Amino acid sequence: MTATLAGINDFVIKLFFGQKADSLVGSGLGGSDAVFLFIWWVSVFFFVLLMGIMGYCMVKYRRREGVPAEPSPSHNTPLEIAWSVIPSLLLAVMFFWGFNGYMRAQMAPSYAEQIDLVGQKWAWSMTYSTGIGASEFTTLGGNNNVPIFVVPAETPVRLRMNSSDVIHAFWVPDFRTKLDVMPNRYTPYVFTANALDRSGADERVMTATDKNDNEFAYRDHIVYCAEYCGDSHSEMVAVLRVVEPSYYQTWLNTPPYDAVTPPAEVGALVWQAKCAVCHTVDGGVGTGPTWKDAWGYPREFTNADSLTQETLDARPDEWDNYIRESIILPGAKVKAGFANAMPSFDGQLSDVEMRGVIAYMRSLSDRDPGTPIPGYEELEAEAAELEAAANGGE
Amino acid sequence: MTTVDRNLDQLGDHGHHDEGSYLNPKYGPIATVWDWMTTVDHKKIGVMYLFAVLFMFFLGGVAALALRIELLEPTRIDETGNLTGAALAFFAEGETVSQAAAGQAYNRVMTMHGAIMVFMFIIPAIPASLGNFFLPLMLGAKDVAFPRLNLASWYVYVFGSLFGVFSILMGGVDTGWTFYTPYSTTTTGQPQVIAMVLAAFILGFSSIFTGLNFIVTTHKLRAPGMGWFDMPLFIWAVYSTSIIQVLATPVIGVTLLLLIFERVLQIGIFDPGLGGDPVLFQHFFWFYSHPVVYVMILPAMGIISDVLAIHCRKRIFGYRAIAFSSLAIAAISFLVWGHHMFTSQGELAAMVFSFLTFFVAIPTAVKVFNWIASLYKGSITFTTPMLYVFAFLFLFSIGGLTGLPLGTLSTDLHLHDSYFVVAHFHYVMFGGTVIAFLAGLHHWWPKMFGRMYSEKGGALGCALVFIGFNMTFFTQFFLGTQGMPRRYASYVDEFTLLHQISTYGSLILALGFVVHLVVFLHSLFLGEKAPQNPWGGLTLEWETETPPIEHNFHHEPVLTHGPYDFDEVVPPGWDPKDYPLPEQTPGGHKH
Repeated sequence: MTATLAGINDFVIKLFFGQKADSLVGSGLGGSDAVFLFIWWVSVFFFVLLMGIMGYCMVKYRRREGVPAEPSPSHNTPLEIAWSVIPSLLLAVMFFWGFNGYMRAQMAPSYAEQIDLVGQKWAWSMTYSTGIGASEFTTLGGNNNVPIFVVPAETPVRLRMNSSDVIHAFWVPDFRTKLDVMPNRYTPYVFTANALDRSGADERVMTATDKNDNEFAYRDHIVYCAEYCGDSHSEMVAVLRVVEPSYYQTWLNTPPYDAVTPPAEVGALVWQAKCAVCHTVDGGVGTGPTWKDAWGYPREFTNADSLTQETLDARPDEWDNYIRESIILPGAKVKAGFANAMPSFDGQLSDVEMRGVIAYMRSLSDRDPGTPIPGYEELEAEAAELEAAANGGE
Repeated sequence: MTTVDRNLDQLGDHGHHDEGSYLNPKYGPIATVWDWMTTVDHKKIGVMYLFAVLFMFFLGGVAALALRIELLEPTRIDETGNLTGAALAFFAEGETVSQAAAGQAYNRVMTMHGAIMVFMFIIPAIPASLGNFFLPLMLGAKDVAFPRLNLASWYVYVFGSLFGVFSILMGGVDTGWTFYTPYSTTTTGQPQVIAMVLAAFILGFSSIFTGLNFIVTTHKLRAPGMGWFDMPLFIWAVYSTSIIQVLATPVIGVTLLLLIFERVLQIGIFDPGLGGDPVLFQHFFWFYSHPVVYVMILPAMGIISDVLAIHCRKRIFGYRAIAFSSLAIAAISFLVWGHHMFTSQGELAAMVFSFLTFFVAIPTAVKVFNWIASLYKGSITFTTPMLYVFAFLFLFSIGGLTGLPLGTLSTDLHLHDSYFVVAHFHYVMFGGTVIAFLAGLHHWWPKMFGRMYSEKGGALGCALVFIGFNMTFFTQFFLGTQGMPRRYASYVDEFTLLHQISTYGSLILALGFVVHLVVFLHSLFLGEKAPQNPWGGLTLEWETETPPIEHNFHHEPVLTHGPYDFDEVVPPGWDPKDYPLPEQTPGGHKH
């Protein structure tokens, strides 16, 4: 009997949620799945009871010609008290149970791993205790640059969340909790991810190898923005990658770039993490102008003097200045044909990252002085052939 | 108790009255139009409101279908770099659109659907159309207390709606109907946002005018002999609604004005960039908008009470409990606004609002229990209005029960702002209010227009609406629990099947409304003439002619029996349809 009930409960949870809650706060008796099941059974009981009585009356008391309705009482005090008091008691249980779970979802121990999270139209970014951020990206739905945030399993984690523009909300459906991300204060998102089940029973646990040839197991959870925030609200997603605590420490101390990483590669990482939602690098349309073949070309602005060929010839740094200014003060020069929609990234990029973005944009343009001229490779090959022929002729 | 039917002319002579139906044109075509536009007759204003809100329902419904069609498939960029699955943006801008443009098109249509349905349809729908028409008739009054204010309310409504339509024509608004700050104060497209906010502001006045009018009418213009507990339950519901309208609407007016001040004058109230607090806006907004949820549902509950009693020919069970629960809901509704903000406020506030929210569940549950108990030993018919009552009891029960995990704090953290919420409030607002509106419309249609409608057509429409509605929205409960956030223009692959079922369901739902439209048009032009009291109701609106004469009653009616005294008033073997009741009827006991 108990086993059957547990089986039915598991089925209900699977039907509604896909799988059981993964965070410790969401699982177990104090978790939200248990309250949900309680509410579910109360609801099923009352719904079946009410609809049963309604169906019975529809058949039994349907109007028959010439047969008047039997007289029946117009009220019944004990019955009315019963159906007010019993539901009230059930609701009281729901309230206390739910409040208990809610408080657990708000509290984190003082030793919890703290990670900073920033929500911005329309991307999430995290800064870990070692100063690094997401270094890997994936595709989810229609977004090709979804950041992967690595977090440790079995460790309390506390995200200190803040928005740099409008209100967002951080939601991990597998953890059964969400919280608003506010522009004017920090809010905490607390979770403790369950251990990785490497026995093969959990099909979501996978293994991969990182760039240093370390093999690690992981389990991915989707993150959504749940508070409406505009055009690309539905693309504001991320992946939370739960790894073993030991691997987390390794990862935490493996910076995505170091002193010898070429600036353009740093810039490409920054682009994926912060810019890719609006700016394409392949010439495609986006909320903002594409970065493909942008650097070094003259540009018209809606609210400032245009960047002409003469200016660029006279002052070669002018494009670099324009990029820097647009990151800090996006509204200063708005490209013709685009709205003033970009939020400021002032203070969010280090000097290395700022130089990286500029280097990356230069590398995307055929006007970059470092870019080989068109046909250069063929010419070089031809020269090599001629040289070889000349050498062979000796 | 007098046994004389005061509705009959005491002289036994109808000849000296030249009053005809309120619908009869008395002048030429232009003068008739002018007569309608300047009328102070609550019935004509009710009919004008009915057509106005139905038109808005049509606009909002088209927007809803557009949203469902956009969500039929997710937006993706294929290998060639082209966008797929962005129906709305393709329709608006041709093939070359970005993903952001697809999102923007969706967001604008979503805002249009929400703003039209909430501010221009569902708030005024029942009180201003059926309420306007039947409140004075059910009270036995000649008109509402302030007929000119009533006409003004209609013009204010039309004026406000024009602002809303104007903002859509200017390019649309993408803030969502809730206008959350700082998004709404910083988004581009200033003039449209201000026009839409002004529309909501102006529509508030129309709501206040109607509410004020109904409160005074109920207090002052009840027929002789009609005590408070002799009023039909529809009146109790509309009365409770009016109290909320008068008390809550000024708050949204002030809030929206502050929003406009912030946008236009850059005074920092809600925008943290200017030193304001965005959560303050949410408090102000829901302090109005939560009570207003009950402005939407209370009149619907009133309709259900009356239609159920008449079509089962049965005294409603627990009259006083239903009447008082309306007032209780109106009072408690002012104390629960914070449950819209469990994820944006502190722990103490969350606890208090969760606790108070469960309080409002009790009177609502009591009403449902009373309705079901009223079926017991009734004489139940299966007319279209009654079919809609059954649909209401089914859908509203689901709507109410799915509110429980939203009021419970720990489960709400998961379900908040997900499709579960979307499904829940559509079960309450559509499965509750719109379904009850349809019940009331079919129930009172013969009285309003003097024609019967086709029962077969009505039942077919009801079946399609019921099936289509459940397909559209039951799927959304699962979308929500599985993690689909609301207000998303696109989604991950896992949700495709549920979204497709939902979209096909919405098409069936739309077909149901087309059937109803055809049935009503057929009734208006070809319908058979309605008798005075087709359902055998005992409330006063059935004592006058069908359609009612211009001044409602030939003589001021005197109440001789309660609204649901079928047992006492109707002698055995007598069908209440055969109005007037025989003179020998024993005086009804009044509860």
